[in-house]
Amino acid sequence: MVTPKHILGTFDEALSALRNNVLMMAGLTERSLERAMKGLFTRDDNLCVTAIADDEEIDHLEMQIDKDGVAILLRFQPVASDLRRVVSAMKLSSNLERLGDQATNVARRARKLNQHPPLSEVDLIVPMRDKAMAMFKDSVDAYVREDVELARAIVPRDQALDELNRVVSRKLIQRMSQERDQLRGYLNLMFVARALERVGDHATNIAEDAVYAAAAEDIRHPSLTASV
Amino acid sequence: MATPEQRVTERVEGAVQAPASSEPAPKLTFEAKNVSIWYGQKRAIDNVSLNILSKAVTAIIGPSGCGKSTFLRALNRMHELTPKTRMEGTVLLHGENLYSKTVDPAIVRRRVGMVFQKSNPFPTMTIGENVIVGLRLNGVRNQKFLNERLEKSLRMAALWDEVKDDLHKPGTSLSGGQQQRLCIARALAVEPEVILMDEPCSALDPIATAKIEELINELKAQYTIVTVTHNMQQAGRISDYTAFFYLGRLIEFGPTTAIFTNPTERQTEDYITGRFG
Repeated sequence: MVTPKHILGTFDEALSALRNNVLMMAGLTERSLERAMKGLFTRDDNLCVTAIADDEEIDHLEMQIDKDGVAILLRFQPVASDLRRVVSAMKLSSNLERLGDQATNVARRARKLNQHPPLSEVDLIVPMRDKAMAMFKDSVDAYVREDVELARAIVPRDQALDELNRVVSRKLIQRMSQERDQLRGYLNLMFVARALERVGDHATNIAEDAVYAAAAEDIRHPSLTASV
Repeated sequence: MATPEQRVTERVEGAVQAPASSEPAPKLTFEAKNVSIWYGQKRAIDNVSLNILSKAVTAIIGPSGCGKSTFLRALNRMHELTPKTRMEGTVLLHGENLYSKTVDPAIVRRRVGMVFQKSNPFPTMTIGENVIVGLRLNGVRNQKFLNERLEKSLRMAALWDEVKDDLHKPGTSLSGGQQQRLCIARALAVEPEVILMDEPCSALDPIATAKIEELINELKAQYTIVTVTHNMQQAGRISDYTAFFYLGRLIEFGPTTAIFTNPTERQTEDYITGRFG
């Protein structure tokens, strides 16, 4: 069903501008993460530098979304689905900003790795990258399309990613004890794995906010729901 | 698929059910059952059933002409003062049918006080006389009792400190906000069981509005309050339950937080978010 417009046209314009900024921020964050990952796997310092530079624009959008969100709360006192949209947009922007920080973290670690001969263990990161990036893209899609089922399905995927991170970390620690000369490189790979694990956490947060925005349901901390 | 009437019934029943078996069920002040009201040929209220909980604030919202004021007036039979009015259904006040032939409408209006949109102190009376006029009309002559009730009512209406030295001055000498609180004090003086308010703040500035809202919040500890308002934010601030009326029908009723964060009915959502034509 098509949502009818507000009687107050400026309210629609303000909500639309807020949403567009969130979508733009999500797009920039995705690009930054992909550049950082590509910079790692292709050992391309330029891509890493670009990913790090992208973060400034993402931070700027976070501030803009917060400012616009507060202005909408102040000027229009939204309720019901409008209120949920504004609140979730502001929460989304905070998660996107942290995702941008993870892209920067990956890019910085990649630059350090690029200063040394390649490590075959970088392949351990591939399945983590695939899972984390898919979770991120699906969480944003769920928010954009107000797809509650897609959003709900992201939460258990985070547990699989966490488990994968534990496996990768164990393997890297094992390699550290075997190849002490490469200790610094393995440590950098562990930080990359950790960053991807955090990407999964933020994607989960976005999915939870998407469910709240679309269905007014708080799916965080299910064990606490009954007592709230 | 439930019909809108079934959904409303479920919502109403859900709203008045005790949250846990160990807690007693909330008491009901009003039980309106299948109420329909006509002004001449025009049907203003269409088969509305609504329970009003005791010692809580219930806000009635809806666009102009939706029947919210008519429904409010039906709770103390004030709509009967309009010529060519006809009503079907029942309204129970603490289980007693307000529309029983043995019930005197004047007694109903004493038990169920009313505050109107525009403050209406009696222009020829002093502040003090305005407060106790209801008691005098009911035959109370004991001056000590009247004085005590005067002070008590003005204190409850948060007006005593502002007028205690000016009780002999005309009621109309007060500001708009003070006049409205004077009218609330007048309603309280006869010790009603319920206070109905029909857009009590719509003619007041933000400061006076805040004082009335604060007063409503204090009064609900002792009284059941039903208020009609056009101000969505005010309904959100002051009420525990909200009823949305449209074209004479009750579209949705439930806890205010639920109505203003996740209304069940599309019409409610469209109205409160300002999408209603």
